[in-house]
Amino acid sequence: MANVLAPPRPKSYDDTFFKPVSLWLTTTDHKLIGIMYMTTGMLAFVLGGILALVMRIQLAQPNLKVIDAETYNQLLSAHGTTMIFFFVTIFMTGIANYFVPLMIGARDMAFPRVNLFGFWLIPISIAIYYTGFFTGGALDAGWTGYPPLTTKQFNPGLGVDLWAASIILWCVSGIMASVNFLTTIVALRAPGMGFSRLPLFVWAQICTSLLLLAVGAPLAAALFLLELDRQAGTSFFVSNGGRPVLFQHLFWFFGHPEVYVLILPGFGMVSEIIPVFARKPIFGYTSMVGALFSIVFLSMAVWGHHMLTVGMNIYVETWFMVMTMLIAIPTGIKFFNWIATAWGGSIDFQIPMKYVFGFLATFLIGGITGVYLSSVPVNTQVHQSYYVVAHFHYVMVGGSVFTLLAGTQYWFPKITGRMLNKTLGEWSFWLFFIGFNGTFLVMHTLGLEGMPRRIYSYPGGFGEEGWGATNMFITVFSFVIAASVLVFIYNLVVSWKYGEPAGDDPWGGNTLEWATTSPPPPYNFEKVPVVRSFMPLRDMREDGLRPSLASPE
Amino acid sequence: MRGRLWFRRAFATLPVLVVLVLFCSGTALAAEGSGSGLDPIVPNGKSPNGHHIWQLYLLVSIPALFIFLLVEGLLITVLIKFRRKKLPKGYKPPQWHGHRGLEVLWTVIPALILIVIGSASFITLQNDYTAQASNNPDIDIAVTGHQYGWKFKYPEGFTVDSEGLTPTPMVIPTSKLVRLKLNSTDVIHGFWVPDLTGKTDLVPGYENVTWVKVSQPGEWRGECTELCGTGHYTMQLRVKAVSQSDYAAFVQKSLADQAKSKSSPSPRAPGAAPAAPAGSPPASPSAGPTTR
Repeated sequence: MANVLAPPRPKSYDDTFFKPVSLWLTTTDHKLIGIMYMTTGMLAFVLGGILALVMRIQLAQPNLKVIDAETYNQLLSAHGTTMIFFFVTIFMTGIANYFVPLMIGARDMAFPRVNLFGFWLIPISIAIYYTGFFTGGALDAGWTGYPPLTTKQFNPGLGVDLWAASIILWCVSGIMASVNFLTTIVALRAPGMGFSRLPLFVWAQICTSLLLLAVGAPLAAALFLLELDRQAGTSFFVSNGGRPVLFQHLFWFFGHPEVYVLILPGFGMVSEIIPVFARKPIFGYTSMVGALFSIVFLSMAVWGHHMLTVGMNIYVETWFMVMTMLIAIPTGIKFFNWIATAWGGSIDFQIPMKYVFGFLATFLIGGITGVYLSSVPVNTQVHQSYYVVAHFHYVMVGGSVFTLLAGTQYWFPKITGRMLNKTLGEWSFWLFFIGFNGTFLVMHTLGLEGMPRRIYSYPGGFGEEGWGATNMFITVFSFVIAASVLVFIYNLVVSWKYGEPAGDDPWGGNTLEWATTSPPPPYNFEKVPVVRSFMPLRDMREDGLRPSLASPE
Repeated sequence: MRGRLWFRRAFATLPVLVVLVLFCSGTALAAEGSGSGLDPIVPNGKSPNGHHIWQLYLLVSIPALFIFLLVEGLLITVLIKFRRKKLPKGYKPPQWHGHRGLEVLWTVIPALILIVIGSASFITLQNDYTAQASNNPDIDIAVTGHQYGWKFKYPEGFTVDSEGLTPTPMVIPTSKLVRLKLNSTDVIHGFWVPDLTGKTDLVPGYENVTWVKVSQPGEWRGECTELCGTGHYTMQLRVKAVSQSDYAAFVQKSLADQAKSKSSPSPRAPGAAPAAPAGSPPASPSAGPTTR
């Protein structure tokens, strides 16, 4: 039976990457812009990963001098900035750019040219940041860049200014993308797709955009004030006259919601992937949406938990502690709803589903250590130590990166029309799972023993005799992660060219993107799809409008 | 084909083996005690406030371990029980859309757990972290951080300088309540001696306060915990607790050393502020800064 919603396979984007640059500069197609976002993100991932490997070599043994301390500080700042701003956020935006219009049955984003402009700010922003390495040193005060260390007096170099300029541009791009997503989702939904029928990934994108819209501007403002301090001689954050801690408040008012900007799209992907591979509808659709919104609101009331050692009033600290603990509740609801969705299902453990289970198993640890950290007295013991490094890598890699890889595995057939190689997929998953846990699990114990984060070296004696062995263990496993990423990228490149054809709907999906061809034509759908529930493709299958459910094994 | 199956099975058990090896080596090394790099819980602080953190950590660990085992157990059950390959052909999964009772259950139970953890944390916070906790100190030491080292100004009027990877310890007497007034002359630093108690930042422009009361003699390591520049990693810290008589001897020796260096011309004498007199009245709790 012919596909009712899309014409026979149209001209595709298969060879887009080898087309002239003019196409990348002029296209307004959300799908190509999405691919450009994802490619930029993946390149940033590799770059940030290389920085991390150099740091791991430096830390492998006590008293090593592989690089000098100043370079080390620049690398740790660039690693944080690259991974948070230029990799995960950008890659997630790419996936959303590609799939939000498809999932709601739209032809494109609401503002296609703003979309393109917003994208191009990102490579410019990255270039500005990395210029620092060639102009006498990039930012060396950590990705958080706390003054007074970043004020002119203690950091006269150009690196801080380039960082501020780069991140302000990034904020502008983020705000543009957020406005665009919100308008698209509100205005361009297909007939019948009420808010109660939106796919959960789209709901997650609404929440992400709301968050970024709310907190992007304060970050830009904080960096602007910092620049005024540096260039115009004002004293917002300098220690005589200003308050250094004010910057921390502004920064974390952005910084904590940013964690959810990174993770909410991942939650959305998981909510899409589990039902497809378990052949069950999502458990508790309404409470899933409710949990998303509780997270949005709570995440803007917890920033102080990054600052529990700066000496705030204990009642203020208690407020932040209680709010932080409350976030565990909606996150717990989502967790148990996902498990209930899988429970009793007929689960096909394809590679995307393996990544989802990897996410559930590891993100849980990040969530639990988050409760330890929320308790103020415990926080004063483990804050700024490797325990925190382990915690946020379990949240951001165990959470965001696992889901993002799951999403890539899940949607690659739609984007390219070809399946990823399964054997390579197995290798990249298991190497990543083992490498990730090997790297970050023992970081908890190092932190509990008193190893602070962001140190260039450690003496290795007087109560730290075993740190060398543990750090060597971590360094070895960090290279396992690197291997898995190489396998993953090799798989992407090879399968894009030579993978077996995927067909329109290789997994038996529930949402509208699977109704069109793979890859979709420039106009997405030939006919405007009509939606009767939150699983429109399942409705079409039940009505006999879909050819088959066959998995391409 | 047979060989391949064997390989696949071995491959599937690999993660389990890795976890087992990790766990066993971890426990073995942790048994050797502090310094192994693998201690599974926070140090049991030698100071009462650090000890309370340790107790709180154990309290949080009970529900944390329970939830960890429960959820990982559920995930493994799903992995084993609901695999499509293992299910009878033509199995139709039940099309549940939700269950109000269950959803209320896994909202309310975590909330109850968090109320317990939150209340216990709040009690510790009120006991150890307010100004009252160190209102009547036996000794007040002013700790000043700078790039990259520490100055410990004692009430008797002398100052100990500490810099570098093998730092001069801050000497304190045992069984005395020692209040530490923390400040910085340049950027933000962090004061942390893991075996005593939690950390407190040294923020330029205002004074933070923390306290220790150590019952046994010993020397412990610590470090600056807030990235403060290129030499951040060299900003090591030692705290040494000695008996009361040894402390008195230390004070005498330091005063004598200071008198000696004052008689010889010293370039940095004008910058040094006069020391606070011993037994100066403590700051009033309402006006005082938040205590750490």
